[in-house]
Amino acid sequence: MRRQGIGLSDLVCGFALVVALFVFLAPVLWMLITAVKPPGEWLNEPPVFIPSELHWANFTDALFKWGGLKGLTDSLIVASLSTVLSLLLGVPAAYAIGRYQTGGDNLSFTVLSILFMPPVAVAIPMYLFWSALGLIDSYTALILQYMVFNIPFLTWVLKGFFEDIPRDMEDSAMVNGATRWRAFWEIAVPLARPAILAVSLLAFIFSWNEFFFALILTRANVTTLPFILPVLMEGHDVLWGDIAAIATLGALPVVILAFALQKYLVRGLSFGTLR
Amino acid sequence: MLSPALHPRRRARDGARRLGWWMMAPTLAVLAANSIFPLLYAVTVSFKNYQILIPVPHRWVGFANYGKIFSDHLFWSSLGVTMWFVAGVVFLQFPLGMGLALLLHRLRRFQDVLVTLLLIPTIVSSAVAGFQWVQLFNYAFGPINYLLGLLHLGRPTWTADPALALPALIFVDLWQWTPFMTLLLFAGLRSLPGSVVEAARMDGSTVWQIVWRIYLPLLRPIIGIALILRVLMTFKLFDIIYVLTAGGPGTVTENLAFFTYVQGFRYFNLGYASALAILQLIVVSILAKALIQLTKRSGIGGREAAA
Repeated sequence: MRRQGIGLSDLVCGFALVVALFVFLAPVLWMLITAVKPPGEWLNEPPVFIPSELHWANFTDALFKWGGLKGLTDSLIVASLSTVLSLLLGVPAAYAIGRYQTGGDNLSFTVLSILFMPPVAVAIPMYLFWSALGLIDSYTALILQYMVFNIPFLTWVLKGFFEDIPRDMEDSAMVNGATRWRAFWEIAVPLARPAILAVSLLAFIFSWNEFFFALILTRANVTTLPFILPVLMEGHDVLWGDIAAIATLGALPVVILAFALQKYLVRGLSFGTLR
Repeated sequence: MLSPALHPRRRARDGARRLGWWMMAPTLAVLAANSIFPLLYAVTVSFKNYQILIPVPHRWVGFANYGKIFSDHLFWSSLGVTMWFVAGVVFLQFPLGMGLALLLHRLRRFQDVLVTLLLIPTIVSSAVAGFQWVQLFNYAFGPINYLLGLLHLGRPTWTADPALALPALIFVDLWQWTPFMTLLLFAGLRSLPGSVVEAARMDGSTVWQIVWRIYLPLLRPIIGIALILRVLMTFKLFDIIYVLTAGGPGTVTENLAFFTYVQGFRYFNLGYASALAILQLIVVSILAKALIQLTKRSGIGGREAAA
């Protein structure tokens, strides 16, 4: 039971939280402000804190002049395909490890350790590999590359989840003549749906945001949003309003998803380690 | 009596084993093609004098690439930079994350909304986050220097200043990842049995005593997991360095990952870069092994096989 009423320490704690919230969100706020500043206020000394008007043209410029639309589309293609394909492969694998201990501890450790592999460690051979196949700057290469990180992640999280689902329901289904596969598909998977939703969200966010492999494996054909940002920043460092608009468009879907699936996000991020 | 009962059970186990491998097969195929084989290839390249820019025949050079690592002062300085980031995780991110987690834990409402709001720096792309800080750190037009100017505290060039570039990046990493640390520790706090804390409170323990004597010891496994996880991620750190400083000024902010990238993709010293990559992989695997032992022992992550 908590104490009733609000004491001094509650006020101090509340104040500390508000300060923390401000520090963590101020940079985001500054980006949003810049995204709606008219061009004359992008580079000002002193900086303009409150724009004189809401200049929405930054967004249309970002979308149609600087490749924002292409960036959004490419990010969407790569992130959704790699998430869906990772689920198709990873969910059965997680079930096999969780339910049947397929391959034992060594196999599950090998799969998991790929998650921690520094991307730079495989960058060179992967670059040579995709070049040899003529797939540099292709959707295929990027999608498969992201699956390599998505699959171990969702396998790790879902394995634990499948271990927690009581075996009885699947067993009784099988006594009633269901195959093992149907026990998995019609009983275990529906029970694990919240966890599957949570890991899909996180896999999508990872693929939407990924920068390193996009930098190495793509050129001009596939240009995901994180990839075009640094290019624009180097090429035209005076276009702050337009770049901020692109950055906002890149951040928006992730933040919306995070809020829509708030409960799952907190659980999904944490129950990789805690359940 | 026993053998007829054993027989179908063994058959059942064989069936499970076979299905298990079928379910694993596609995953194993993709992972093998896209990570295990490339890794093996990187190992062979690391023993060769493979350089794209110098047209000499590739030959085996034994451990020469590995030997070169330890006499390369750029390697040692990049290791130093990586260690500074690790220190930032342990000495800044952890205490701050813990403090925030305790504050959130005290709240009666809005916990999920606040955690999600705090997590925005963590979940947006590093390219987006990097752009935000490029703006904020800007010498002439950035709000940070403007505010410092109001207080007559001078106008640093931040990411262009050899003395400030690394602290600035460590600060950005702190901003980006402390919320993640908070989330892990907060989830840990939430999983503690409330009765223990209530008992201590009844005893008349102060807040500090409760934190030191109850929360921290009970959270120890989770703290270990959170720290190792973040240290593992710090070894991969690349994006914000690329966006904010590109390793400069000079090589002041080149960490191991960035140094390896420069060797491989700017100078095309593929043999040397591969040796660097393998070295990092060994360190990271040891850390990952420790992490998994810890999750197992604490009974939090992977449960011991019950079969």
